[in-house]
Amino acid sequence: MITVKNLKKSFGELTAVDDVSFSINKGEVFGLLGPNGAGKTTTINIIVGLLKPDSGLVEIDGNSDPTKSSVRTRIGNAPQTLALYDMLSGRENLEFFGKLYGLSGSKLKERVDWALDFGRLTDRQKDRVGTYSGGMKRRLNMAGAVIHDPPVILFDEPTVGVDPQSRNMIFDSIEDLKAQGRTIVYTTHYMEEAERLCDEVAIIDHGKILDLGTVRDLTKQYGGPALIEAEYESLPDDISGLPGEFEGNTVRIETEKPMEDLAKLTRNGHTLRQLRIDQPDLETVFLNITGRSLRD
Amino acid sequence: MGKIITLALKDLKVLSRDKGSVFWVLFFPLLVALFFGSIFSGGGGGPSGMKIAVVDTDSTDYSIAFAEELSGLSSLQVSRIPADSAIDKVRRGKLSAVVTIKKGFGQTLGMFTDSAMIEIGVDPSRKMTVGYLQGLLTQSHFRLLQKRYADPESWRMGMDSLLADTSFWEKAPPGTEEIGRSIIGSFKELSHYISTSGETGTSDTTSDSAGTTAEAKKEDGFNLFPMKMTTITNDEAGPRSSFEITFPSSMLWALIGIASAFAVSIVKERTAGTFLRLRLAPISRMQILAGKGLACFLSSLVVTIILLLFGNLVFGVRIGNPVILLIAVIATSYCFVGISMLVSTIGKTEESVGGASWGILLVSAMTGGGMIPLMFMPGWLVTISHFSPVKWGILAIEGGVWRNFTFSDMLMPLGMLIGIGTLTFAIGATILSRRDS
Ligand SMILES: Nc1ncnc2c1ncn2[C@@H]1O[C@H](COP(=O)(O)OP(=O)(O)O)[C@@H](O)[C@H]1O
Ligand SMILES: [Mg+2]
Repeated sequence: MITVKNLKKSFGELTAVDDVSFSINKGEVFGLLGPNGAGKTTTINIIVGLLKPDSGLVEIDGNSDPTKSSVRTRIGNAPQTLALYDMLSGRENLEFFGKLYGLSGSKLKERVDWALDFGRLTDRQKDRVGTYSGGMKRRLNMAGAVIHDPPVILFDEPTVGVDPQSRNMIFDSIEDLKAQGRTIVYTTHYMEEAERLCDEVAIIDHGKILDLGTVRDLTKQYGGPALIEAEYESLPDDISGLPGEFEGNTVRIETEKPMEDLAKLTRNGHTLRQLRIDQPDLETVFLNITGRSLRD
Repeated sequence: MGKIITLALKDLKVLSRDKGSVFWVLFFPLLVALFFGSIFSGGGGGPSGMKIAVVDTDSTDYSIAFAEELSGLSSLQVSRIPADSAIDKVRRGKLSAVVTIKKGFGQTLGMFTDSAMIEIGVDPSRKMTVGYLQGLLTQSHFRLLQKRYADPESWRMGMDSLLADTSFWEKAPPGTEEIGRSIIGSFKELSHYISTSGETGTSDTTSDSAGTTAEAKKEDGFNLFPMKMTTITNDEAGPRSSFEITFPSSMLWALIGIASAFAVSIVKERTAGTFLRLRLAPISRMQILAGKGLACFLSSLVVTIILLLFGNLVFGVRIGNPVILLIAVIATSYCFVGISMLVSTIGKTEESVGGASWGILLVSAMTGGGMIPLMFMPGWLVTISHFSPVKWGILAIEGGVWRNFTFSDMLMPLGMLIGIGTLTFAIGATILSRRDS
């Protein structure tokens, strides 16, 4: 559905996107994961045709010019910087965006109602956007991207500056879209979001894609061992056959097979007072690839 | 075209909801027109009353009583002069109408009769006058408005409270507070100056020295009245009230406000990120620019027409030649669309464009006679004024109001307006479309 090949884009001295390639299948949610300044937004802007790459090419549905009207109507983009008219109501914003895509009459009304529901904004539709909370504005910004029912949708950091409740609404909405078989590009610098939503993830830093794959594969490759920390009610008499290192009643295990080791600990009916298992996640993956933590 | 209209309607909606913009675009120009109109109006058909002559050919108790009744109306200034000189004065615009009480008025009063006993003689270009005289109901409403706006003192008090109203200024468009305050401040001073100096100045202007030239009168300083005398003697064209001068310039003020508001809105579209959304949609750059231009043009038309109608209905500002006037308004609006486009490229933030656009437009207003009529300006300033779109706009509009311009008279101002408009639009649009490619 989307193919990106050897994209390059520099702003003066700075190379914002450096030889980026990936391809996304229809119906897939693809995550671009990287810290601020990694080049995510620049990549998105090239895909949707807001920026011309210095070199490389983008193909959407076999079409290589995203600025063509017929391609534009097939793409929805929720920009990272909110793109809304504060003086207009939520509904008026969506009506305006819909009209720009050629919608009118009952079709327009139907789509606006749908998009308001998508953004969970139906009861605030008549209020001016200027009065909305950060989370509501984000949701409206996303609704504006899907008003024209595009098969390809790009969400650029849709959860920045959003309260937990809105965040969950946003996840639900994106999962709905996924269930409808749309192709989605999702950028974030939050690991757990990519983990929850994305079929495939590209880890990007300093304009370069460091690695790319399913969350599971990347975790396997770069995640390292899981960590188990368990505290016994009372220490078993014989601990020599047990894995890990003991310190009082507490045992700590670094392991590739956390479940097997956990079974060993509780053999012979020994009970645990506390248990913590740290599975490797994308956070660790990023740390292991770049040597840096994702969050600033 | 449909999408251009969609874009334009969106802009009109946004603009009309922005209280700061509405003030600068509509109320401020009105304030200019009424304020200057009121302080300059020393007589003539101003708000102090419509000048009419009553000719009583009946000379019965009833006709005398009727004439006295008319004289008692504060909205009328009634003079009792012979019929032929009254008619002459109407023809020359000195009087709005001559009301003749015909013989038999007293005798037939209160009886049903087929023949009209009152005749209103009026200049055909002043169709409004007939309605005005007849409209007793609307008259009382007008009187109320006039009273309020004809008093410079109340204006000064109004401006003081406006200056003191901090919540108002917080809502003003970015970058405009300082300029706005200084304009209103200088109006205040000006009004004081004029109302004190006017008292000594009016004594010789009230004398009907029709032959005096503008040249000689110039030395009298800040007084609008002598100018009216001379233009009347030339070709029977001339402003009949100070409002016929202040309303055309107020229309230019409105256009300046609109040009500035749209320049800011073009920038705001970028700073608010919505420009991205427009560029993502299946519309072209030209459509986006055309949408802005159309919105600017439409609001210019609407606001100038509102001002014109207000001036016409309340202050008797003539619509001398509706066709010429419409052409003038369209050309002037067109010109300011281009200017708005160019001014929007001055800066990249709303503050810088808002402030700079008012600065530039203020200078073109001052040099173009938007604040002080050109005839009071020194020669070098008059030369500079040829480059001011404000000057040509005022000239074109006055051409349709009282200058009795013919189409060939209009060629020069129209050419300048369309030329300046096209040039500034082209430069502005080029800069804008280069900026983000
Ligand atoms: N228009 C621009 N001009 C100059 N530098 C830019 C521009 N846009 C982005 N950059 C730079 O390119 C790099 C990548 O930016 P961006 O794509 O926005 O990163 P991300 O979205 O991952 O946070 C950053 O260093 C940013 O400062
Ligand atoms: Mg970004």
